[in-house]
Amino acid sequence: MIFLKHKNILVTGASSGIGKECAIQASELGANVICIGRNENKLNETINSLSEGKHLKYSSDITNYDGLEDIISDAVSKVGKISGFIHSAGIENTIPLNKMNKEKYDSTFSVNVFSAFEISKILSKKKYLCPDGASFIFISSVMGMLGQAGKVGYCGSKSALIGGARAMAVELAKKKIRVNCIMPGVVETEMTKHMFESLPKESVKGIKNRAPLGTGEPRDVSNLTSFLLSDNSKWITGTEMFIDGGYHTL
Amino acid sequence: MKTSEFIEILVEDLELENVDLAVDTELTELDDYDSLAIMSIIAIADEHFDTTLTAVQLANINTVQSLMDLIGSDKFE
Repeated sequence: MIFLKHKNILVTGASSGIGKECAIQASELGANVICIGRNENKLNETINSLSEGKHLKYSSDITNYDGLEDIISDAVSKVGKISGFIHSAGIENTIPLNKMNKEKYDSTFSVNVFSAFEISKILSKKKYLCPDGASFIFISSVMGMLGQAGKVGYCGSKSALIGGARAMAVELAKKKIRVNCIMPGVVETEMTKHMFESLPKESVKGIKNRAPLGTGEPRDVSNLTSFLLSDNSKWITGTEMFIDGGYHTL
Repeated sequence: MKTSEFIEILVEDLELENVDLAVDTELTELDDYDSLAIMSIIAIADEHFDTTLTAVQLANINTVQSLMDLIGSDKFE
């Protein structure tokens, strides 16, 4: 049985999609959830969907690194130290290599990677970290291991999360912090719908039909994040898990 | 933007060789008009015209002129 009672979980990208579902399920399992997202209205929707608990919301741009510690400090003062972190905030883009530039790399990596690492740095401080340790989960992507045209920024950033998680897993083990990546495949979310609009129809059809088990739902992903947040996964760290309906096998 | 400038951008970014691109050229008939070309056109529209095009919209164009119409004829001289 997965049990998250008495755990305080911070979720970025909690306004929508996978992040929203992770927050909701964590609350269903007893956690207090600290939701961070850019869109205040959507964040309110998430908060209103959570099961009873001491939940908080912060409407913020997580690439404003200077403001992150204030958010975390405020949250800890209200609900207590942090037991879990899910980095679900992320942007995707489909831009051919010949149109990529430093500005585009920076904007993609800032949200997808650097903010995750910055938040991890802050949460690993004793004053914010639950004495029993914590579980950090970075939502990477099956595209962190596979390649696709027009995705050098996105694939590169999702792959970077995997490398960073492994390094952190080694460094933070003595603080009882586990760090893992999960790699979702094609999940039915607004972001995926937007991504498909920039691809030719035949590409979209190919992508949707590729996974032996078809496309997934946000709840499929949150089932895994809930397990990784729980004590049931206490011996799992430094790993990356596909959760993609078998997409990566072909 | 001048039409001639737009055509130059298309030739460069789509790496069209030995093609005398004009407004009545059928893009869809070009050897190099593939999914990467479509991606490049979406990126061009975003970068130069601050306009978001989708692959579904681009499936309905054929000539350079129809692409310019899709972007917005008011954006061209």
